[in-house]
Amino acid sequence: MNGFTLVNILGALLIVTSLYIVLERAPRKAAFGYVVQSLVLIGCFLALGVTTGSVELYEWSATAFITKVVVVPSVVIFLSKKIGDAGSDLEPRLTTTKAIVLVAAEVAVCFIAVQGINLPAAAEVKPALAISLAHFFIGLTCIVTQRNIVKQLFGYCLMENGSHLTLALLASNAPSLVEIGITTDAFFAVIILSVLVYRMHNVAHTVSADDLTELKG
Amino acid sequence: MTGELLIILMLVPLAAGIVIAILPSREGLIKAYAALHGINVVAVLALSFAAIAGVVGSGEIATALGGWFRLDQLSCIFVGLIGFIGCMTGLYAISYIGHDVRRGAMTAGKVKQFYLFFSLFIFTMLVAALSNNIFMMWVAVEATTLSTIFLVGAYDAKPSLEAAWKYAIVCMSGVAFGLYGTVLVYANAASILPDPSQAAFWTAILPYAGQFDKLTVALAFVFVTVGFGTKAGLFPMHTWLPDAHSEAPSPVSGLLSGVLLKCAMLLIIRYYILACEALGGTFPKTIMLVIGILSVAVAALSVFSQDDIKRKLAYHSVENIGIVALFLGFGGPLGIAAALLHCVTHGLTKAFLFCLSGNVLMKYGTRDLNKMGGLIKAMPATGVLLALGFFALAGFPPFAMFVSEVSGIVAGVADGQWVVLVIFVIALTIVVAACAHVVTAAVFGKVPDHVEKGDVGFAALLPEVVLAVTLLWFGVAAPQPMLQCVEDATGIVTQSSTEALHETPVVNILFSQTDAASAGTIVER
Repeated sequence: MNGFTLVNILGALLIVTSLYIVLERAPRKAAFGYVVQSLVLIGCFLALGVTTGSVELYEWSATAFITKVVVVPSVVIFLSKKIGDAGSDLEPRLTTTKAIVLVAAEVAVCFIAVQGINLPAAAEVKPALAISLAHFFIGLTCIVTQRNIVKQLFGYCLMENGSHLTLALLASNAPSLVEIGITTDAFFAVIILSVLVYRMHNVAHTVSADDLTELKG
Repeated sequence: MTGELLIILMLVPLAAGIVIAILPSREGLIKAYAALHGINVVAVLALSFAAIAGVVGSGEIATALGGWFRLDQLSCIFVGLIGFIGCMTGLYAISYIGHDVRRGAMTAGKVKQFYLFFSLFIFTMLVAALSNNIFMMWVAVEATTLSTIFLVGAYDAKPSLEAAWKYAIVCMSGVAFGLYGTVLVYANAASILPDPSQAAFWTAILPYAGQFDKLTVALAFVFVTVGFGTKAGLFPMHTWLPDAHSEAPSPVSGLLSGVLLKCAMLLIIRYYILACEALGGTFPKTIMLVIGILSVAVAALSVFSQDDIKRKLAYHSVENIGIVALFLGFGGPLGIAAALLHCVTHGLTKAFLFCLSGNVLMKYGTRDLNKMGGLIKAMPATGVLLALGFFALAGFPPFAMFVSEVSGIVAGVADGQWVVLVIFVIALTIVVAACAHVVTAAVFGKVPDHVEKGDVGFAALLPEVVLAVTLLWFGVAAPQPMLQCVEDATGIVTQSSTEALHETPVVNILFSQTDAASAGTIVER
């Protein structure tokens, strides 16, 4: 088994973890799912680094560990403690079966879409590329289908992970500064969104997107 | 020298933000926050115009930090908007926030937070407009969202926080599409460029665009249009905009609508140039045309149906950003010039009107048009300015938007887009009716019993008068340096020389003043 095959297998594991994050109602448990997913993502970076000889990917792994395995889940777990059950009882807009079918459809469409991409870097990792694209859309699905705004925050994190994997697959030699810029941005995004959720909980006493319908028209 | 000026220009608002952040949150320091903020916005205006003068005057492009930042004639337009509108809305904000403090809507901590994020907002927009690195462009646009979330959600009220949440989640997920498109372009460039380390630089990528994988570029352009189009407020990704613009403090609404949406359009324009070079004009033009006319048509109907003055103005923003996209869709030198001009004229008009809506809010305490009659009697200066503003927004001569809209319509005729033009003109007619309704409902009529007569203070009116005079000035006789800048920027977008532009019918009339100054100049790219 060569390195690219390992990347493709790890990519498939990412989808499983994403599905867990989308389906799990309790944000705290979803945060642990996100930790597992981030470790898989780091595994992808390392496997790609070894295979392509890209030193930058080792640095990416280190920053991803700090931000995605440690900081982001800690922020969400801290937020969940601060606001009680963090809306664990809020049902998503889609049933489990429908969510699984939708995710499967997204993966299938992304597999078809990437076949036409004719880039040298993509030649060996098309399955992983399709998965990274699908991962991005699963994140979007999470935002759209969740009533709990804490879970919507995870949707953004999934989208960001999808973009991050695509960047690693297609542009592993991108300057570290680029990766640091993107990671820092995502890090601040999660902090700011968490502060906003906290303020929403304190002022409006809700974390349900269904209650945020005062502004219309 | 201009290169160093770019760095100073970006550092000034960042430094102002840091100093404000360091200051403690005390009621006694509210005036100090405002003073720092005032110095900041005036300094940004002076520095941005100095940098622009250097580029427009010499025709030489300024670069900084090894090409990471770059001020060309295209970015000059947007840096100018940031400097000027940032200053006008910033100065107006001092009166507006002062009023909020007096009525107890803002504590010292909130005021400090407001001025801190206002500075960071200006800083991030400058980085977005000046960046030559495509990843930095994305980071900067994302950072504009992060820096404005607490400006939109400035008040501890549910509608304000609801607007902030929708703004954050829609824009951040939308802009993530932009990152995806950026990654695709970078990957493609890295596989083609002789020096892959240059693959993140827009100016290094552009000469090789013809060798790009066409499907990848097409996919990237769609992703970028969705991503930065969300930030620009293009239909159907505009859903955050009416809420955010209506709930934000009025000077912030002016800055969001007048400048931020245009900065997002600048990034789309950068990728539009790339896509035109890689794929030919048909694909990017069609995307812009479709998304533009849909934005215009949907927003025109929404403008008409709103009773909330700020939501009405917000939908106007969707409509006008749609007009910019539509003119890019018409293409050709005239369409591009009209799109760029419209960025300027609409930016000024909308900043002007959002500030005026702030006057009304300060006096009447409502955004509901049904409850704000007799402005001309209750606050005569605001009433007259508001009437002028809505005439300007309707595209009437002699105001600036008339010039850009008519130029765009002529570009549409030249492109033979008759069906689109008919829809466009119908939409404009609806918008004119909506503007006329505001004037009749709010400016004239009976003054509500609870409203005492007397206008807002001179400090609040002054930036509005300056904006009104600028709108008239740009409509009657646009200044030569501005026209020169738009013409050179048109050359960058169409990748042609100013000589070629001067030979294009109608374009030569639009830019006739610049002939003497720039005859024979080849636009540096």
